[in-house]
Amino acid sequence: MKARNEAWKIFRLYGRKLTEKGYVAGHGGNLSIRFGNKMFITRHGCTLEDVKLEDVIEIEIESETSFDAISSTETVVHREIYRQTQNLAVMHAHTPYAIAISFFTETLKPIDAEARHILREVPIVEGRAGSKELAMRVASALKEHHAVIVRGHGTFAASQTMELAYRLLCMVEKSAQQIYLTEILKKLGLKFIEPREI
Amino acid sequence: MKGWMGSLLEVDLESKSTKTIELSREVLLKYVGGRGLGVYYMNAKIDPKVNPLSKENPIIFATGPLTGTIAPSSSRCTAISKSPLTKTIFDSNAGGNFGNAIKQAGLDAIVVKGRSSRPVILIIDDGEVSIESGDGYWGMKTSETIKALKKDYGREFEIACIGPAGENGIYFANIRCSHENFFGRGGLGAVMGSKNLKAIIVRGNRKVEVHDQEELIKLMRKCIDRLKINPLTGKALPRFGTRFLTKIINNSNALPALNFKLRSWNKANELSGEVFRQYIISRSSCPGCPIACKNTTKINGVEVHGPEYESVWALGVNCGLSSLKHLAEAIRLCDELGLDTISMGGAIACLMEMSERGVIEEKIEWGSGEAIIKLIKCTVQRKGLGKLLSLGSARMAEKLGRKELSMTVKRLELPAYDPRELFGMALAYATSNRGGCHLRAYMTSMEVLGLPILIDKKTIIGKAELVAVNQNFLAIVDSLITCKFAALELDDEILSHILSSVTGIKFDRGMLMKIGERIWNLERMFNLKAGISPEEDTLPSRLLKEVPLKEMLEAYYQIRGWDRNGIPLKSKLEELQLLGEMTGIEG
Repeated sequence: MKARNEAWKIFRLYGRKLTEKGYVAGHGGNLSIRFGNKMFITRHGCTLEDVKLEDVIEIEIESETSFDAISSTETVVHREIYRQTQNLAVMHAHTPYAIAISFFTETLKPIDAEARHILREVPIVEGRAGSKELAMRVASALKEHHAVIVRGHGTFAASQTMELAYRLLCMVEKSAQQIYLTEILKKLGLKFIEPREI
Repeated sequence: MKGWMGSLLEVDLESKSTKTIELSREVLLKYVGGRGLGVYYMNAKIDPKVNPLSKENPIIFATGPLTGTIAPSSSRCTAISKSPLTKTIFDSNAGGNFGNAIKQAGLDAIVVKGRSSRPVILIIDDGEVSIESGDGYWGMKTSETIKALKKDYGREFEIACIGPAGENGIYFANIRCSHENFFGRGGLGAVMGSKNLKAIIVRGNRKVEVHDQEELIKLMRKCIDRLKINPLTGKALPRFGTRFLTKIINNSNALPALNFKLRSWNKANELSGEVFRQYIISRSSCPGCPIACKNTTKINGVEVHGPEYESVWALGVNCGLSSLKHLAEAIRLCDELGLDTISMGGAIACLMEMSERGVIEEKIEWGSGEAIIKLIKCTVQRKGLGKLLSLGSARMAEKLGRKELSMTVKRLELPAYDPRELFGMALAYATSNRGGCHLRAYMTSMEVLGLPILIDKKTIIGKAELVAVNQNFLAIVDSLITCKFAALELDDEILSHILSSVTGIKFDRGMLMKIGERIWNLERMFNLKAGISPEEDTLPSRLLKEVPLKEMLEAYYQIRGWDRNGIPLKSKLEELQLLGEMTGIEG
């Protein structure tokens, strides 16, 4: 119960942050934390804006359980990430710029120095929400990358802590926003100057 | 009209006569089919005060416009009659292929009236109707009956039959249709038995015409996607069957145990979906159902369909039985003898508490598998304590002078969700038109499962409104007919599109909900005329003292447009076009 309470505090904090940023709305998005052979994950249909204790569902990582019936639709994706990677926290949000950019490219390549250094690139994959196929693609991509975008759906970020996953997700979204703004300025006829290392 | 076959078959077992009646467009548009059509027929043709086991009480098997089409999870049939157990109007619906066969035989519904002097089988062979002797099948268990009839008449016949419980008029006898499906609750098997009708067998070659098959295919694909994504219909049900609920409901402190003395049970995990999964030997689905929740388990050499969560709860948790071996045998026995497992379990649990309290001399220990199996057998034979049990828990408790120990509403044994924890469910039980039933509003979906959204289970705010809306919605679902599991994901909007594509008549969600409301009110009127007092909109005293029912009930009556005594106001009946609603079936 103590662990569940701790998970709840984390989900509440980051659920609110994601909402304030406009990265989730309504019942979109989901969060999970690994805890030994189990994970805590947000409930199907809950709102991250106001996560309640009963929205924190404890399930097995290796096998499906009865509680999968009430956990997030994306449980299958979270489970596969924990199976295939060393990550301990997973965050999924419907980040608007990343979703918009995902319709026009195969990979998101950050244009600012910091994001380029940390993220290198962010793969874009496809798949039906909650499907095994999507789970395999996302988990596979996260073996090599910190985050992955699902085309027309949103961003998954995974790391050792929820704070780190949150920062990575924000970085992806900021990168997508920068690309969007840059492309608009190009369309307006402004000349793009490649940064130089002097 | 597309979707419907346009015909209702009336069979009189007394005169051995049959009559095919054309269903009017007006009736079909107002009541759609299935439960709605049956309720309409009962109101139009039957005296609500009818003795349920008399020849005057008919049993109706009605399909809906979606039955026999490719609409997902819609191969269903509803049985409707006046229940000998509850004395209310009662509908019970089953999956499988029986409904499809009725449509393929060119019918929307079959009404069986009268009483044969000898056991009979009703045969409907692609529109040809005959009544043959059922002497050779009388006394057979349900699976034996199905096997014998298939052997004698042909494998392509779909069968609805009763077992010894129905033959003996046990108040909670069920009707089996195919090996895995049952018209489970309310004792409609006893109604068939009272007519000496052992079975109805149906086959046909006709196709259900659909207005826009292309559009229906598109909608079906959309539905399948939604059902696959939903964690409950896409994962838990196909993997664990309905037993996934055991742990979740127990964890919510809403799993009643030992005749509702407890509201959670420390041995519940021994009866979880995970445990039963190890014993699954085959999986299956109703025709055209992408959920595929059905399975068969083999436990200690005993092969049993499912078992379903409610059966595991009723004969297991509620009776304190955790031995899988005995539980499987008890459930198999009920299936074979033709008994509703929920009512049987509820009655045994009540008797166990009577024993514990010394109300009866016999010692029946909680959790005794041998005792439970023996009591089931005695019930069907009406021997010893079985004589009491055969009355159902409410009449038995009344007879023993301890009415308060019966966990029933309107004489129907309560199912596996504790109303002390789930206030919406409490109101749904109390106001159910067929007694203590979870399927009239299934508030558990919102109060525990979070579908479509999780709500506070112990508040009264909004519960009256939600219960009424869900009751209306499920009344239309039962009339289309679509499976209630599918309806956890498929809402009134997509169902209205499906109905429009099948029939070619434009339906919208508002129209569907209005039809649902009409059906609900018509059921209420039937019950009132049958002498079911609004005072019966209540809960057993053990549960009532922890539920603020009065406040919810007041709000509920207001929302329903009923007076403070629970009687529908004239204005409401006018709005629903129910004033003077007693004609429309032309014959």
